[in-house]
Amino acid sequence: MNNLLSIVVFLPLFGALGLTFFPAAELKQHRVVALLVSLVTFGLSLGLWFGFDASPAASEFQFEITAPWVPSLGIGYHVGLDGVALLLTLLTTMLTPLVVLSTFKAVQERVKEFMIALLVLETAMLGSFAALDLVLFYVFWEAMLIPMYLLIGIWGSENRLYATVKFFIYTFVASVLMLVAILYVRAHDGGSFDYLAARNALQASGSAQRWLFLAFALAFAVKVPMFPLHTWLPDAHTEAPTAGSVILAGVLLKMGTFGFFRYALPLFPEAALHFRPVIAGLAVVGIVYGALMCIVQSDMKRLVAYSSVSHLGFVMLGLMALTAEGLTGGVYQMLNHGVSTGALFLLVGMLYERRHTRLIAEYGGIAKQVPWIATAFVVVTLSSIGLPGTNGFVGEFLILSGTWLARLRHAPWYAAVGATGVILGAVYMLWMVEKVFFGRIVNAENRHLPDLSVREAVVIVPLIVLIVVMGLVPQPFLDPARPAVDRLLTRFQAVEQQLQNEQPGRPPSVGTESPGLAAALAAPGLEGTVR
Amino acid sequence: MNFPTQDFAALAPVGILSGGALVLLMSEVFLASTRRGYQASLTVLFSVLAALAAATGGSPGAIFGGQATVDGFSTFVTVIVCAGLALSALVGASWLRARQAERGEFYALALFGASGMVLLGAATDLLFAFISIEVMSISTYALAAYIRRGKKPAEAAFKYFILGAFSSALLLYGTALVYGAAGGTLFADVGRAQGGSALLVVGLGLVAVGLSFKVAAVPFHVWTPDVYEGAPTPVTAFMAAGVKTAAFAVLTRLALVAFAAAPQPTASGFAAVLAGLALISMIFGNWLALTQRSVKRMLAYSSIAHAGYLLVGVVSAAAAGAREGALSSILFYLASYTFTVVGAFAVVAVLERRGKSLDEEPVDAWDLQRFAGLGRKRPGLAFAMAVFMVSLAGVPPTAGFIGKLLVFQAAISAKAYGLAVVGMLTSALGAYYYLRVVVFMYMRPAEDREIGLISPAIQVAVALAVVAVIVLGVGPETVNQLARAAASIGM
Repeated sequence: MNNLLSIVVFLPLFGALGLTFFPAAELKQHRVVALLVSLVTFGLSLGLWFGFDASPAASEFQFEITAPWVPSLGIGYHVGLDGVALLLTLLTTMLTPLVVLSTFKAVQERVKEFMIALLVLETAMLGSFAALDLVLFYVFWEAMLIPMYLLIGIWGSENRLYATVKFFIYTFVASVLMLVAILYVRAHDGGSFDYLAARNALQASGSAQRWLFLAFALAFAVKVPMFPLHTWLPDAHTEAPTAGSVILAGVLLKMGTFGFFRYALPLFPEAALHFRPVIAGLAVVGIVYGALMCIVQSDMKRLVAYSSVSHLGFVMLGLMALTAEGLTGGVYQMLNHGVSTGALFLLVGMLYERRHTRLIAEYGGIAKQVPWIATAFVVVTLSSIGLPGTNGFVGEFLILSGTWLARLRHAPWYAAVGATGVILGAVYMLWMVEKVFFGRIVNAENRHLPDLSVREAVVIVPLIVLIVVMGLVPQPFLDPARPAVDRLLTRFQAVEQQLQNEQPGRPPSVGTESPGLAAALAAPGLEGTVR
Repeated sequence: MNFPTQDFAALAPVGILSGGALVLLMSEVFLASTRRGYQASLTVLFSVLAALAAATGGSPGAIFGGQATVDGFSTFVTVIVCAGLALSALVGASWLRARQAERGEFYALALFGASGMVLLGAATDLLFAFISIEVMSISTYALAAYIRRGKKPAEAAFKYFILGAFSSALLLYGTALVYGAAGGTLFADVGRAQGGSALLVVGLGLVAVGLSFKVAAVPFHVWTPDVYEGAPTPVTAFMAAGVKTAAFAVLTRLALVAFAAAPQPTASGFAAVLAGLALISMIFGNWLALTQRSVKRMLAYSSIAHAGYLLVGVVSAAAAGAREGALSSILFYLASYTFTVVGAFAVVAVLERRGKSLDEEPVDAWDLQRFAGLGRKRPGLAFAMAVFMVSLAGVPPTAGFIGKLLVFQAAISAKAYGLAVVGMLTSALGAYYYLRVVVFMYMRPAEDREIGLISPAIQVAVALAVVAVIVLGVGPETVNQLARAAASIGM
């Protein structure tokens, strides 16, 4: 039972090794084996889901394993899952088989290498979520880069070389500084590469902590991506093959926000409080900027890419609120974005397979030709813009209300400006839907498009079901995250207490505004909804 | 002076290597047929024997009155040098045969060079070091000039010889000054020299400059690109691995002595100079490599950059608290660099374009375009090259990553944060040009169907290097423990 996590993490890698023995010409075998491996991984990861104890009394990290890896360097193989990592692990294992299935027609070149890259990438992603040793985490974190680099560079579209090199260099430059910070933690404050030991040993204050926080935050901010470090994203998303875009948007971007949640915030809480207004400000700028950029895009994939900048801005805003609602909403929005943006990229990919163009202007009025695709697209769009009843609503509502009530100077302003992102989101998404699916068919090529095939339906239906389920019954998905969120808040409260002892008169900054004030600030009916 | 027999026994690896060189020379004399396939195998055999002799020979410590020290450190260096020699010989065999230039002298020179390197790894006396450097260098000068077809090889050999002789002269002059200041040339004498006279500082400085030529640190690197490019590729591989390892071994030992030297200003000044060299080597090596089209030349500049990273390790040894970590990091880095770079040059040797006649050396012999489409034409070779490039860039899970991790960890324990940050950032710069090779191999279409030189020997060499790079990256524990053990004796 305890080894289940390691099995889930490494099964895709072994699948990839197995694939090397199949002859390259046997495209079907590669596809089927990759699909089976990813399905089995998903099946096993369900064991993690059911085995996870979400009660507050349960231990923080479950399925934990500690084994020496390079003892002479103090590097251990230490893995375990908290609720947030569990949710993201499931998101990954759930998306991968769908992605594999989606490439059955789209990828005809070098199928063997494609499947190998995809499975290696899955192991790297799962490992990053599971790692509880800083070096182990860094190894998985960097190991993600290479398969992604190959996915974009080999199977991408015209401008793929530029995009993939930009992606790699951006992320690599940002993460090498994190390695310096990790080495510093071991050499000075924490004395250990082990996450738990380092977290306990690290001091709460000091200027070194601020530098360390910045080094970690930079690596994560590029991955999120936060404005103004987002410029690699539109290129990478646009040029990547559909599968690459889905994984990139669905999981890799979460790696950045997860990094903040797991590493940057709990390891360096004092520095996090110090830089909080800047990060929250950049998050809000990202929300609005991303949304505005969406409005002017003529390429569907680029539009969805910029919408990711906007949506991930929400997640960062929620995390920076440091309230239970905000953090929970942030975590939830990570899942939502993975599901809905993943689905959007899959749908755009399906259209691309039919017409070989991503330009919005090339389409128009195709809802009659492809009613099922149109239906799916609209449902996903509604989720993306946060319509009540879909998962997007739950996340955005929690984030915005959590931010409004946050003990951050001018918190309502952050929430109010951020909320314009929701409105703009509706504008650009509905515009795109209108221009692509409705109106009259102008382009004759669009007259005979085939609708959703059975395989495509199998790819998209699970995501749509998830959108609705997560919108109507969010509790099962919120529960596992709760202990992790509460622990982070407790940690911040303890640090705040310490800081207040050092500097009497320091205003409180963690948690929710006191109810009276909140009632005065909040719009009628807002307070008490999420407690 | 009388030296006990066991002192000679401690140098058994050197005996095996030079004995092997003589055997190969004689084999050429008595050769009846034109079949020379066994010569490479003999070279491999002798280098394996030498490595085994070193590994099982124990650590008798100071020999020949302290002129040399056979300890864990020198053993580790010996094994690395022998590994580099064996792999380069495997590459050399088919490379030379394809150019109808396979002769026993080639292997003999390589073996002599390796024996110089092994001696250098044990040197704890400036004169002893000088003689070892000469043994090593004269062999490598001759190897660089081994095939003088066309202009480039001749230019390379000549440049290497002139600049090498110049650096040897500086080294010797520095040795003379140190002798004047310290009254002896043993490293121990230098360590005992009190007062920190200007003579000692200048003398040590000149010795360091002479060694910086050998390790190819900026600003003493100017010969490197031309020589690396012009020399026969197997020789370049051997130089990049062996010469660098041996020169770093002696530089490290000398630096330890200088760091320990009283008074403090001498030591910190020496460390500051090395830190400066490290800094500009990392920056310029990576920067100049960025624009290279020739992969061989790019690897030459990259070797300058890697000298910079290794110098970071040497500088970190200045801090007493970080010394053991720094020394073991240097050893580990040298091991990982040896396998990576020999492997990379082996792939270059496979792919380099040959002229129509034997004398012709095409200008684009090592152009990036040669790598285009390799991922399809020869997936195994492309994968190997990708592993080497990723390792040079320092991306996990490869040996290069662990090497960088160790070196920069030592730098951070020594509180050399600036060096660590610059080193990390420049290694990210390096990722750009290393990955460009990967881009060409996997993302650009092939221009022809030519598949280069195939031979079992090269395949074995590349496979061994790939396995070593991955094993050192995924399970570095054993080698790191050996490096640690070696480092603790190295003081």
